[in-house]
Amino acid sequence: MALTSEQSRLLDHPSTRKIALVGPAGTGKTTAGTLWLKKLLESGIPANQILLFIPQRTLAKPYEDSLWDDLALSQGLVSIVTLGGLARRMLDLFWPAISSQTGVAQPDRPPQFLTLETAQYFMAHVVRPLIEEKNYFESLTINRNRIFSQILDNLNKAAFVGFPIEEIAPRLKAAWVGDVEQMHIYDDVQASALAFRSFCLEHNLLDFSLQVEIFIKYLWPLPACRSYLTQSYRHLIVDNIEEDTPVAHDVLREWLPDFDSAVVIADREAGYRFFLGADTQSAMTVVDACDETLLFEKNLVSSKDIQGLQNGFRRAVASLMGETPLQQSLPGADATRAIVTPRENPRYFPAMVNWASAEIRRLIDQGTPAGEIVVLAPFMSDVLRYTLSRKLDEYGIPHHSHRPSRALRDEPAAQTLLTFATVAFPEWGLLPQRINFAFALMQAIDPFDLVRAQLLSRYVYDERAEGFPLKPFEEVPAEVRDRITYRAGERYEQLRSWLAATLPEDDQTLDFFLNRLFGEVLSQPGFGFHNDLENANTVATLIESIQKFRWVIGDQLNHDDFSTGKEYVQMVADGVIAAQYIQPWQDAPKDSVFLAPAYTFLMRNQAVDVQFWLDIGSPAWYQRLDQPLTQPYVLSRRWKAGEVWTTEDELRAANATLLRLSLGLLNRCRQKVYLGMSEMDVSGYENRGLLLRIIQQVLLETKRGIR
Amino acid sequence: MTLPENFDFTQSNLQDYLDCPYRFYLRYIRHTQWPALIVDDALAFEQRGQTGARFHRLIQQYLLGLPEERLADQAAADPSPEVFSWWQDFLQYAPPLLEGARHVETVLSAGLNGHRLVAKYDLVLVRPDGGLTIFDWKTSQKRPKQERLLERVQTRLYRFLLVLSGGMLNGAEAIRPEQIEMNYWFTSQPELPINLPYTADQYQKDQTFFKKLVDEIAALPGEAFTRTGDLSKCRYCVYRSHCDRGVEAGDLEMFDDFLPETEENPDDLDFDQIEEIAF
Repeated sequence: MALTSEQSRLLDHPSTRKIALVGPAGTGKTTAGTLWLKKLLESGIPANQILLFIPQRTLAKPYEDSLWDDLALSQGLVSIVTLGGLARRMLDLFWPAISSQTGVAQPDRPPQFLTLETAQYFMAHVVRPLIEEKNYFESLTINRNRIFSQILDNLNKAAFVGFPIEEIAPRLKAAWVGDVEQMHIYDDVQASALAFRSFCLEHNLLDFSLQVEIFIKYLWPLPACRSYLTQSYRHLIVDNIEEDTPVAHDVLREWLPDFDSAVVIADREAGYRFFLGADTQSAMTVVDACDETLLFEKNLVSSKDIQGLQNGFRRAVASLMGETPLQQSLPGADATRAIVTPRENPRYFPAMVNWASAEIRRLIDQGTPAGEIVVLAPFMSDVLRYTLSRKLDEYGIPHHSHRPSRALRDEPAAQTLLTFATVAFPEWGLLPQRINFAFALMQAIDPFDLVRAQLLSRYVYDERAEGFPLKPFEEVPAEVRDRITYRAGERYEQLRSWLAATLPEDDQTLDFFLNRLFGEVLSQPGFGFHNDLENANTVATLIESIQKFRWVIGDQLNHDDFSTGKEYVQMVADGVIAAQYIQPWQDAPKDSVFLAPAYTFLMRNQAVDVQFWLDIGSPAWYQRLDQPLTQPYVLSRRWKAGEVWTTEDELRAANATLLRLSLGLLNRCRQKVYLGMSEMDVSGYENRGLLLRIIQQVLLETKRGIR
Repeated sequence: MTLPENFDFTQSNLQDYLDCPYRFYLRYIRHTQWPALIVDDALAFEQRGQTGARFHRLIQQYLLGLPEERLADQAAADPSPEVFSWWQDFLQYAPPLLEGARHVETVLSAGLNGHRLVAKYDLVLVRPDGGLTIFDWKTSQKRPKQERLLERVQTRLYRFLLVLSGGMLNGAEAIRPEQIEMNYWFTSQPELPINLPYTADQYQKDQTFFKKLVDEIAALPGEAFTRTGDLSKCRYCVYRSHCDRGVEAGDLEMFDDFLPETEENPDDLDFDQIEEIAF
């Protein structure tokens, strides 16, 4: 492999230096990082003394792959951590040494770590009475679950930025100009956050924010913990430091002198995880603390035309912001050659999808590997993903999509199990509607169709029953039994008898109840799950979610009239939990078209030949999410106390977001960008956003000969 | 080659393959979780696992030098009274065995015929006499026979891998098999740990065994991962209903006798897999 001069310069350094690599994406910094890792291992440094610190796990892949390329170097594993992961590991190990200082009610008991869902559940538990009895958030019309998640977001911001949670509302209020009602909302946010924190401390519960806060406050300064870390890890590699948070930067800056060597990699013109607390400015304080900085400038990925397009974006956004762009001209670059657009923009969104799919087919026919094509949109909505997938399926084009999470309650396999649970525990008072019961029967019995399932449920299922609502198959009239078939009837009988034998106390361990229902009935021969490996995974995910819920909730709220199983089922129905469930394992076939939200693609940090940007007229490419309870800019470390957030700030932030995002994408594009839009978006609104206007300006300037 | 990209061979997945190639296929190649029970008394089984994990954590904290009195408080406050009693036994019997340089919860790996073997050790002790002891803390209710432990993939892999790549724990000095012993310490009989010394002859046998095994697995096409012919292996296997080999889960009371390999450190979450979600 031919090295660039910057990569060679890095490798010429002894493994006793602390070196920062700074430059735009696509200049070979991560490759240099992987080569540095190999150099360390080849020099005899044990792998377990090397720490790879990254803001998100997906960013470790190039390092993992490079270790696999040379197994002779494998004599231990390099530790790969994020700040959150490190905090939790240290809490787990050193808890007895600091527990009495943390304020938890039972310092002699280990803490319980909350997942996203259980944190959301307890937030609901604490805040719901405030909403219902004290009229908190009265003037807000958003879904309650969004209220809960935004309060959690505020707590996380406080932990990652490093300010006391008592300052959430004062900071938000000081920056607010406008309706006074918003001030009350911020007060309610503050009171809710404090109430949640008290509840957590009282019950030894550590949500993500408390894990990070305790780590920073008590563990990081603890000599035993610090010496464990400094003795364990002698060599540091940090990648994408610009995507990490200020407290991560504080820790790294303090830790840096203790390492024998360090390579700190920072992308310029990035910081995509800003809404999760990423801070490019504080990242530079770690860069500055290194012995030396190597600048990586030469783009190794993008064609000259793509680079010309980047310049065009810089110029256009600078002009929008009233600034003078600083970059060299690129003779010979022609941005118009880097862009492909339809001859005419279609009026409706399905036509845009048809155009994109047809172009993908044409590219593949002409020899572009499917894995070198990505289709990006600001958000990959279900309808967009579905329409695209269907069209690509039609053409026989392999593709895969990434969604960070999915709603378990929308999965038919999960619904089936929960429906049978509500039937088995009639005392919950949650009996399903007949159609839902029929649907569950259709899933459970193999083979069975909805018509016969509905027919059967009409005769055997009483949705108004006080007790167990299922009747034996023999009570169905003979002529109807014939239509349903005796084979299906026999399966129904097996299921019914099994459910009828349920004991009331089984609802405290709903996960085990469902394990048994699945193992002893639904996955046996003649039932729908017997050979269905994919649905088995969905059920396993559901059961794991219930199990984690029971571990945490069962211990905290256990009293005589409390049913863990019923509570779980109700919370799922309300969307409090299992609304966003991360899939434990995701298949990412190598040579297939990737459909993804733009930010997801960026955080994979992989370049491709061709990108499709869809919906380019949408404001979602640059607008903030509507979050009335929080504000990522005001709660960032760079925000100056006492300043107010104005519409000019909002505009500047939108421009900066758009520039960052588009340059990031173009840095990961080798040849062409296909731009798709329709005059009307999915919801029927007209599309004329900022991205579209900038592209038009870039094309116009290119035609005028500005490179 | 049907193995997933960057697949690591560990004691539990190798044992799975030896028990039933089809189980290996479902679990590691198809990534199929089959949510049936392993044993009949699932709650007791879960509690045993969690109690064992808390006890492991206490030992780890002790080995890292956390104050003994704080650990005693934790043990005394544990919801399971067994933990305190195990803890007292540990303090009575284990410390004399633990003199030397301690490598706690260490992971070793090595390339073998183009594949990677990985093992996570509770403790590797480099003794003052130059020997190395692998410790494995066992909280199972019954103490298995020595012959049984010698046959286990865990025993074979842990000792083999320490020779192959343990030099980094030994001041970069190569390790001879005769320097190594594996010590299984049982809470059920704390005064009688089982010590299994290693030999050059056994090392050669293990090398041949693991090379053949990983090559065989890597070369198998998907359809060649067949179901085991030994139906007793299905008793504590979650996939039993998929294979039409039984309805109810195995008896918890017999579980220790059967000694199947369950998931490696099931309590050990991969914390870094936790992704943030946009609010």
